[in-house]
Amino acid sequence: MTLKRLAMAVLAALLFAPLATQAAEIEIEVWAPADENERYRFVAISLAANVLNEELKIEGSDTRVVVKEGTSFGGSQGWAQLKQGFSLAVEAGKGPHIIVGGHEDIPVWGSAGLIYPIEDYIDLEAWPFSDLFPSLWPIMSWNGQVWGIPQDAESRPFFAWNPHLKAIGYSDADIAALPAKVKSGQYTLQNVLEDAKKIQDKGLVEKGYGFYPRATKGGDYWQFYAVQKGGDMYDAKSGKLILDKGALLAYYQFFNDAVFKYGVTKKNHLGMDWDQWYNEVATGKAGLWHGGTWHYARYTRREGLDDFFDKVMFSLIPSGGSGGKATTLTHPLTYLISKRAKGEEVELAARLITIASEPRLNTLHAIASAHLGITNAQTKVSQYADDRWTAEATVLLKSAFALPNSVDFGQYDTLVWKGLTAAWSGDLSPQQAVDTVVKEMQATMGDKVIIR
Amino acid sequence: MRGIRRFLPALFMLPASLSVTLFFVIPVFMTFVFSFTTMSSDTGILGSRYIVSEATIRTLKDGDLDAALVRQLDSRVFAVNEAGLAALRKSNLKPTVVKEIEEKLSGKVYASEKQLFAALKGLSNRPRSFKDRKMVSKAVVQTLKNREFTTPKEFRAGLASIGIEVTDDVFDVLLEVANTSWKWTTGNYSELMASDFTWKILANTAFYVVLTLFFNVGLALVLALVTFYMPSGQSKFFRAVWLIPRVSPSVIYIMLWRWLSFDGGFMSYILGFFGVQPENWLNEFPWTFVIMANGFVGASMGMIIFASAVVAIPADVLHAAEVDGAYPWQQVRRIILPLMAWPILFITTYQTLSLMTSFEYILLLTDGGPGFFTTEVWALNAYHTALSNYYGNLRYGFGATLAVVLVAVGIAMSLIYLRLFDFKKLVAEPQIEN
Amino acid sequence: MDDRKTNWPLTIFLLIISAPILIMYLWLFVDSVSEINTDSIWPTEFTLRNWRFLVEEIPGHGSVWTALFNTTVFASSVVAIVVILSSTAGYALSRLKFPYRSEFLGLVLLLHSFPSVTLIISIFLMLRMIGLFDTLIGVILVKASLELPFGIWIMKGFYDTVPWEIEMAGVQDGASRFQVWYKLVLPQIMPGIAALSIFSFMAGWSEFVLPLILAPSADMRLMSVYLAGLVNDDYLSDYGLFKAVGLFYIIPVMMFYLFTQDKLMNIYGGGTKG
Repeated sequence: MTLKRLAMAVLAALLFAPLATQAAEIEIEVWAPADENERYRFVAISLAANVLNEELKIEGSDTRVVVKEGTSFGGSQGWAQLKQGFSLAVEAGKGPHIIVGGHEDIPVWGSAGLIYPIEDYIDLEAWPFSDLFPSLWPIMSWNGQVWGIPQDAESRPFFAWNPHLKAIGYSDADIAALPAKVKSGQYTLQNVLEDAKKIQDKGLVEKGYGFYPRATKGGDYWQFYAVQKGGDMYDAKSGKLILDKGALLAYYQFFNDAVFKYGVTKKNHLGMDWDQWYNEVATGKAGLWHGGTWHYARYTRREGLDDFFDKVMFSLIPSGGSGGKATTLTHPLTYLISKRAKGEEVELAARLITIASEPRLNTLHAIASAHLGITNAQTKVSQYADDRWTAEATVLLKSAFALPNSVDFGQYDTLVWKGLTAAWSGDLSPQQAVDTVVKEMQATMGDKVIIR
Repeated sequence: MRGIRRFLPALFMLPASLSVTLFFVIPVFMTFVFSFTTMSSDTGILGSRYIVSEATIRTLKDGDLDAALVRQLDSRVFAVNEAGLAALRKSNLKPTVVKEIEEKLSGKVYASEKQLFAALKGLSNRPRSFKDRKMVSKAVVQTLKNREFTTPKEFRAGLASIGIEVTDDVFDVLLEVANTSWKWTTGNYSELMASDFTWKILANTAFYVVLTLFFNVGLALVLALVTFYMPSGQSKFFRAVWLIPRVSPSVIYIMLWRWLSFDGGFMSYILGFFGVQPENWLNEFPWTFVIMANGFVGASMGMIIFASAVVAIPADVLHAAEVDGAYPWQQVRRIILPLMAWPILFITTYQTLSLMTSFEYILLLTDGGPGFFTTEVWALNAYHTALSNYYGNLRYGFGATLAVVLVAVGIAMSLIYLRLFDFKKLVAEPQIEN
Repeated sequence: MDDRKTNWPLTIFLLIISAPILIMYLWLFVDSVSEINTDSIWPTEFTLRNWRFLVEEIPGHGSVWTALFNTTVFASSVVAIVVILSSTAGYALSRLKFPYRSEFLGLVLLLHSFPSVTLIISIFLMLRMIGLFDTLIGVILVKASLELPFGIWIMKGFYDTVPWEIEMAGVQDGASRFQVWYKLVLPQIMPGIAALSIFSFMAGWSEFVLPLILAPSADMRLMSVYLAGLVNDDYLSDYGLFKAVGLFYIIPVMMFYLFTQDKLMNIYGGGTKG
């Protein structure tokens, strides 16, 4: 008898077990380049999952989403590693469902078929994308389609250490007027070198610290090409990259002059330690420099620069001279859905991204990492509006440019960068460097680049 | 028993041969094959894809195809026709929705998705979600643009589906332009020959190999000889110390060199006493550190080989020299060094090859910098080209070309090496069998 | 030569040229347990703060225990594969007669000193085809395969030293070649197996480039990749932490090294990569 009852119980348990089990869980893995200030690139998606699961419950769906915060690639070498890892992993049917990449990855990964065009899965006319800064859409587009959703925006300002400026004769009013003078083109890169030299000659900073550029390779350096006369990178009509010899020469000449003519930048500056770099610029060891909006977080928190606004002037990157114009680079990172995601996963990933782009959620990242927001509404979210840095720095975004979305950009950038390092170290004169780059580009890229 | 005996060699060789073939021999051949392709991260590695995108259209416009055909390829209209409705009926849209679309929108043609969606909005049983609207759009769209085809056959069917019939010649042109996967080329080799950077890297590599060789063979000799003339306790200690870099994981070993040379590190501290400003010495003298870091590791191998060669010298030969009143230095020069010729040759050829092809220490130490290809050597350049681009465009094909050069040098060096060290004797037949 | 007296100039000379190694490894230990003072290299205060990575995750770098576990699995599997496959193939090449034997040996010799890392893209493709990209097993197979030519060569060398008489006696007693190998020959080359095990363990334990490229996921991270990630993090320049992690990572290697120095000397002397 008992045996029979036991058998019944087991049978019942087996029969009803499916009813008692939990709803189907679908895991969505995210990869992102994130240092300790930038964890919200992941966390925003995790937070979005909470909302999405409630939405799914209301819709009567059994599906639930679990977000896996996958590989994070911090640091300067992590950037290249993220891209390599993603390319190979998705090619092998692995990797993340959502990746935070650079917008310039869109053509490469789109062309290789590693990502979905996001416009097929997200209604870009609906909230919150209806409110997105319109200038961000072209940056997310390639080949006539929108592929990604901006995860943040930023700009890469020019900075100066106010006490040093005062010591070489600037008044408070002069400093306050400087950003406007930069914007109008009255204050140029030539003035940068001269002021850097004055600061150095006065003994305010060590030799080679007058003008203190970014420590390692980065898109930032394209700014010094873009501020020159004719410094265009992309011809929208033909879809080809442009290399302007005149602008390139002026760009190389500027760094060559900084090192050899004025001696305000170190010959072996490139490749230095970032940690040291941050510390030096945040403690007045450098005169003029350039960085990114997110540096604010580092300066004020980690390096303890409490009175940033008193000590530091920020503006667009000054124009290269007549015919050029002041500008700054914006390099939004972007949420992309990888082909690792299949079927329902694609849709869920798209919904997660949509929710994570809500003003309040996106603002978490903006404030924590001192990046800029992506929607107009965000500027009214109190956390964002009350933050002096994001509020003031967002203004720079209006004069910003972005790197072109082109499959050939990586190769083009590598060559131009090699030329810069050669002119910088004095291995080649600026003119020789231009000639080498042009020759190399003609040989290896043919008519993919318009050289003028 | 006979059976097993017959299959024993196969049984014993198979697992090892299989894995070496799979992950070593085949990759060598594939590297060679890849070097003749345009493979990169934007072409993908496997599978082909045919897509008519904006870029395709631009290329076609520049070509000499019929302009009307190109316009047709570029077109994208939304026509609510029977085929589309049939597809919608099969979808999981609500029948009422499909029915209303059929009643009210049948036969209509829209120039853009936006217009289609606007029309859908006018329906009372309208598809509410973006997903459903997209489903309608997908069912009624008449276009080839941005659609992905994986075979030429599919592509042809795609063309036919929007009413384009083309001759084989024209189809071949379309196929060529729409194909986003890699193509065969010899361009990698001509690029290699034409590039100025090739020579810079070649010079770097030669500089690195020669200097490191001198450094570590010289150091190894010094270590072997000096420890030979020491009490055994001391010599054991020093040999043990010199093996530490060798057994340390590269990441730790290089981290320690970076610590030694950075602004807040040991060197800056010591030099501080002499009034020298703290510097990142690695940035200041990159080659010195690259050569030292590699040399310290390489020296240990030479040290062991040379030390055993010295010990193998018959003691009475040395004693005889001592009785003759020779100083240790003369002993070294007159007796030891001549007997060391072969070990030195062995180490030199061996390490030439491994220095040429290894890049791990440089990758971790300077990553080829600072600045303009300062410490970029051939193997590291192959790695950078194929697997590490700041903007993510990895050139697998060109990287493979760079690797092929190394493979060729590697094979040549190995053959020389085998000749020198008597290959015949190394592979002599077993003495007895059965 | 045991009767040599200390030659002070020589000893001091050797101490000086060995100084970088001695200093680096001494401070590896010292800094891992002391507060770092940026102006000086001398430890100021004892601390265990640098070892915090054992109990908490360094933001963005995952757990060190996962990395340790992966590294242990990785290194031991490489040892198992290399030792088993080399001792069978080494025996066949040393003792058995079969077609293309000398070609096999030639290939082994050629590959033994081959630029293996340059093959990484093709290796990626192989892994992808058999579905093992981004798995620990995949990297293990690759690493073991790349180590095999060396292992086979070394094992063949050890088999060559075993006297033929042992096998002859066995065969005459009616044992099969397999039994002879297993029961009579294998025990003779135990020192070789030990040396090869230690060597492959160290090679596996230290491997950096292969896992970096072939297993990019955080779950697959090995100690080498974990430490490199810390050192390259722009937000960390904490040599105290790096060194604590480094020490943690190097301890097994150092243990092996201290206890098996002579065997290692043997095998390094036999010629290896690098």
